[in-house]
Amino acid sequence: MTAPPVSQPELVELETPIGSEWDPVVRLVLGGVADRLGLGFEDLDDLQLAVERLLAEAGAQRAVKIAFELSPGRVRIHVGPLREAPIAEALQGPPPAPGELELRRVLETVVDSFGVEEAAAGELVVRLDKRVGPR
Amino acid sequence: MTTSAPAPGSSGTPDRELLRRYHQHGDVSAREELVERHLPLVRSLARRYAGRGELIEDIEQVGAIGLIKAIDRYELDRDVALTTYATPNVVGEIKRHFRDRGWTIRIPRALQELNVKMSGAVERLTVRLGRSPTIAELAKELDATPEQVLEAVEAGSAYSPVSLSASPGNEEDLDLMEVIGTEDEGYARSEERASLEPALGELPEREQKILRMRFEEGLTQTQIAERVGLSQMHVSRLIRRSLESMREAMAE
Repeated sequence: MTAPPVSQPELVELETPIGSEWDPVVRLVLGGVADRLGLGFEDLDDLQLAVERLLAEAGAQRAVKIAFELSPGRVRIHVGPLREAPIAEALQGPPPAPGELELRRVLETVVDSFGVEEAAAGELVVRLDKRVGPR
Repeated sequence: MTTSAPAPGSSGTPDRELLRRYHQHGDVSAREELVERHLPLVRSLARRYAGRGELIEDIEQVGAIGLIKAIDRYELDRDVALTTYATPNVVGEIKRHFRDRGWTIRIPRALQELNVKMSGAVERLTVRLGRSPTIAELAKELDATPEQVLEAVEAGSAYSPVSLSASPGNEEDLDLMEVIGTEDEGYARSEERASLEPALGELPEREQKILRMRFEEGLTQTQIAERVGLSQMHVSRLIRRSLESMREAMAE
């Protein structure tokens, strides 16, 4: 049975420990979100990669919240609060030089847009946006 | 008695002579010739492990590492043919790969089989639809539920076709972990990021090419898959593992 498409904004929230052993949990939730939205298999893979890379850069922080805001044809993901200042530097600083393969270039490639939002002092939340491709 | 007749089409130099040139004089070209000469053995052994959910080219890649190790560890005073010595090394490397990364981590057989079917289904649907299929479309194609599809994809992510110990193919033939670990000691985190490019250069040529196509040229995985002759899922795994390998190497 096929579930009806998302017709109004919905929120899915996850709080997870950070660590590669927890990546499968995040990927499965992302997969469920992608299925509800009708996101393409390759777009799902892109989103999983974006979140994985971001969490991999989160350093020694123990846990993180991930919020998935679903709207018709689009998902917005908030990851944070993150306390890793280099993430802000990497995402807000000057564009990477050609040929450099850092977090910013990865995100620029795999999501439609991203941004860094201030949370509490010294903390930030990273926003990732992905639209459902044309059908 | 040692027999080491060269393969047809090779330089004609016996294995033993090439081994001597490599071990006694550091002749890297002799080592390369040995590797090239015995790749058919690796392919033959790798085929025995086909159909277990791992792509044959990945198994061959792992087997080739076993061959390289065998060449490096070969002792000239042993009266044994290189093929005889290399075979258990190649098989051992492949078995280790499956044990460490493969299906032996107790993935239910049904999920293994679904994962194996997945790659073909993604290719078929991509061609048929002219775009990447959704999870629901994949589930329908595979006569499975979306949950089963997601679990099967996740099961497949346990693989690691990229080996950091694979020789980068440069003249020094250093182990990649040694190269990166030595050079990056003491670097600050931000400096590590800036020096990812050298780490990229140490990946196998195919992985470098794929990463550049994805992150510099902006090609999709499907477009890359068409260009390099792999499946989209294989390209996905290579990208993910290459990035992870680079990050891990920089963190050491």
